[in-house]
Amino acid sequence: MNIMNTMQQTFRLTALSTALMMAFAPALADEAEVNELIKPDSTISIGAGYWSGERPQMGIYDGMRESGVHGLLDADVVKRNDATGTWYKFKGQNLGLDSREFRLDVEKQGDIGGFFEYSKTPREAPYTVNTGLQGAGTSIQTVSGAGANAFAKRDITLGTEREMFRLGAFKSLMPGLDFKIDFKNEDKTGTRAWNFGSQSYFLVEPVDSTIRQLEGILRYSGKSLQLSGGYYGSWFQQNNGGMVTATTNGVAGSTLLSQPLSNQAHQGFLDGGYNFTPTTRGTFKAAYTRATQDSDLPIWGALSAPGAPGHLDGRIDTTLLQLGLSSRPLPKLALTGNLRYHDQNDKTPLTQFVTTGSGTWNTPQSFTKTSGKLEGTYRLPANFSVTGGVDYYNQNRSTPIVGTIVVPFRSEINELTYKLQLRRSLDDNLNGSIAYLRSDRNGSLRTNSTVAGANGAIQNLYNPMHISDRIRDKLRFKLDWDPVEKLSLQFAVEAARDDYGPDNNPYGLISGKAMLYSLDANYVFNDDWKLSGWLSHENTRSRQQVASTPINDIHLAETTNSLGLGLLGKVTSKLHFGTNIEWQRSITKHDQSGPFTATFRPLEDIENKLTRLKINGTYAVHKNGDIRLDLIHEHWYSDDWTWNFAGGNPYASGTAAGIDGTTVLVRPNQVSNFAGLRYIYKFQ
Amino acid sequence: MKIRKLLALTACVSMFFSGAALAADAPKAPAKEAPKDLILKGDAKCTGCHDEADDTKPTMLDLKPSVLSIGKTKHGTVADGRTPTCTDCHGESEKHVGHKGSGKPPKPDRWYSKKSNTPIEARNGSCLTCHQGGDRIGWQNSAHGTQDVACSSCHQVHAARDKVRSKVTQTEVCFTCHKEQRNQVNKPSHHPIVEGKMTCSSCHNVHGDNPKQLIKASTNETCYTCHMEKRGPFVHNHEPVSEDCSICHQPHGTTVPNLLKARVPFLCQDCHGDGSHRLQVGGLPTNQAASGTGTLGTVGRGCLSCHTNIHGGNSTENNATAGRFRR
Repeated sequence: MNIMNTMQQTFRLTALSTALMMAFAPALADEAEVNELIKPDSTISIGAGYWSGERPQMGIYDGMRESGVHGLLDADVVKRNDATGTWYKFKGQNLGLDSREFRLDVEKQGDIGGFFEYSKTPREAPYTVNTGLQGAGTSIQTVSGAGANAFAKRDITLGTEREMFRLGAFKSLMPGLDFKIDFKNEDKTGTRAWNFGSQSYFLVEPVDSTIRQLEGILRYSGKSLQLSGGYYGSWFQQNNGGMVTATTNGVAGSTLLSQPLSNQAHQGFLDGGYNFTPTTRGTFKAAYTRATQDSDLPIWGALSAPGAPGHLDGRIDTTLLQLGLSSRPLPKLALTGNLRYHDQNDKTPLTQFVTTGSGTWNTPQSFTKTSGKLEGTYRLPANFSVTGGVDYYNQNRSTPIVGTIVVPFRSEINELTYKLQLRRSLDDNLNGSIAYLRSDRNGSLRTNSTVAGANGAIQNLYNPMHISDRIRDKLRFKLDWDPVEKLSLQFAVEAARDDYGPDNNPYGLISGKAMLYSLDANYVFNDDWKLSGWLSHENTRSRQQVASTPINDIHLAETTNSLGLGLLGKVTSKLHFGTNIEWQRSITKHDQSGPFTATFRPLEDIENKLTRLKINGTYAVHKNGDIRLDLIHEHWYSDDWTWNFAGGNPYASGTAAGIDGTTVLVRPNQVSNFAGLRYIYKFQ
Repeated sequence: MKIRKLLALTACVSMFFSGAALAADAPKAPAKEAPKDLILKGDAKCTGCHDEADDTKPTMLDLKPSVLSIGKTKHGTVADGRTPTCTDCHGESEKHVGHKGSGKPPKPDRWYSKKSNTPIEARNGSCLTCHQGGDRIGWQNSAHGTQDVACSSCHQVHAARDKVRSKVTQTEVCFTCHKEQRNQVNKPSHHPIVEGKMTCSSCHNVHGDNPKQLIKASTNETCYTCHMEKRGPFVHNHEPVSEDCSICHQPHGTTVPNLLKARVPFLCQDCHGDGSHRLQVGGLPTNQAASGTGTLGTVGRGCLSCHTNIHGGNSTENNATAGRFRR
């Protein structure tokens, strides 16, 4: 009986389920297929990679400088509750490396949300230092002395690490009005190349500081009016005391070196935009910032000038005002314009800090930048348009009232830029633009250097690069051409020329030039294969003169050629393939008239060359899982002589034989190969 | 248990055959049901044709817009009452929807591909209807806005992952136009852009009207968001440092350490030349014995070997060199 009952029940259920499956199976399959297309998807990948050699240059930031095995772990998880519109996101990158970062978001779209972000960024110096320096990277450092006072040398590496966390939230208060808040904390620790100050001995700067930023914004966005206003606060905290004591072993006395001190800034701001009509819009910005630096100045003991204050009481107030207008008064005419006022008012009290010699005061510096722009675009027949515009820039600087003026300066700079552009767009297969810009910079009469005697006289014959008269011409040409459906080409030229003018002074920058040509091409073989490539040639030149005897006429030039080539394709429905080549070579030349001597030699050209070949293949082992193989060949070459004496021997810090003698080793040839294998799990 | 398995097997077999028989016996396909909305309110008007058969799954090539994948994005989140419909962005497009026949239908009222003939202001207007606020208040006056850049030139609105919003792929989009920067980021001294730790938008608000479309009101304010130790004010300020970091630095990349525009002493000599060692020729001494104040401007840290606090110093030491960034 029981068996019969069981059989009957089972049969009934099976028949029912069969009927249901018959009816709904195709629908379920359809739904699954559609869901795959319309629901957020996620991936997690895990694996390991192996670099065959050290990568001092290419591994500065990526956390894979050392050879050996590295963990490869990435995640991009996106989930959404469709009923409530709530997103849950986790994105992790390089989780197995020192350059790891991740971000977690929870957000009910359009209502409320928050995030947490973490990031670690290493920056390792691309060289090895061989030094006898004691206390490297601390607040008390002792340089290796001569003879019996010498310390044994050893290799050290320098580098910093940024560790950042950030969190924020937003809340929609009512339709169109929301509030968001964002806090970021970044600790920076490590070491950096530094020097003794009073001598060219090598030191290692201890880096230990914290940057904090807090921003709260209330935003309104209506049909015609948008407003965004709030508070931005930023704090720099020096965790190292602000002073380093350096001595030389066996030499009496010490040198005290200052470090940046804690400071902070508070800013209130309001931005807005209003659509006066459907074709006319006005915008504005207003911001006021107060930055202060009132930390205790490090105690210099008997070395301090009598009466030198213990605080700078630094304060800088910055005001920004900006107005903008854009309009289409005629269907074929568009106009834009803006006015901007940016005033940085240094209210730090002027105090004498050094009494020896002619005395030294602190150097508060105020300036005001005023600029305006007017531009019009008129649409011509055949999809052409012509644009004309003018930019005006004015800068006023405060004039030092005490102390020595080392470099002549101008209290006022003016720059006027004219622009003319012809553009063709909206055409099926041939678009482009050509633009010409001319800037003319001049300014008030110069305030001369107050350096005494002949030195000051020479200095006054210089063109300080950021304030000199200058004519700048720029030409930009760009062409997009699709000669056939499968091929697209892009050609670009950018040229610039600076002329510091015959009326200017003879020393400093005389002229500059820059040229860039680039060609990009994309070819689509079919739905499965695509080839892309680009070539680029860049050349920059400058000429300057230095008032040595005889005059040193300097021609600096750098030529960079770059190439990129990529092929992407689907070998089979399960196997995808990609390869990518990057190549860049730059040559820097330093032609000078001299004079040189037997023990002071001209600079050789510098060649930097990067070759990187990447190949990857992704194979679908099952519907939700791929295996990905990455192969990389990387070759970095540089004959940069920065850390070498003429002739190629390592430069030894210091001028007196026997003292310091720190050397820096840079490997000119760095070749490394990488193989990485990872499993990628895909899910929804 | 065996009986259950047997019955289940029988049911499956019968289902297979009954399904096949049903298919074979089906006299006529039932009348086609009116298409239902798949993602957005009223999208049946579009997804009736632009269905999964028309849709490509995300591929390496990224050749075709994946129409339905908008469902994976914020624009496909219907629980948010602000989410637009297809026609909010593409227009009612009656001619496109009502097209009969075998040829290609006319384009929708507003379409967004590279070869679109929809005026830029109409294309961007669709986006700005909702996205004019916040960082985009100044779009119309921005360098991109005045150069007729379309939102869709950079954004893939239908894509589950918009390339330009990803740290890893953003530069691919920006370098389509900014060729000079594509070269510079591969130079030996660069910000960690190719390494994926920074992106263009770390410094630039590409929708804004700040100078150089920076995220903050000035170059220095932007740089200080990461390099706040350079902000000061210092006891001894170096004028160009306080004024504009880009007088000496090229932030996208150079062949000179620390992103300097030119090597020392040449860079320093663009302003300084008042005699003594400041007039020295850029050269290399042959050995330590040949090293001196007048020969060290180039090798190693060059001028910075002594002027080591070049961004500003806080020394109150009673020494004339305190104001020369040597303490």
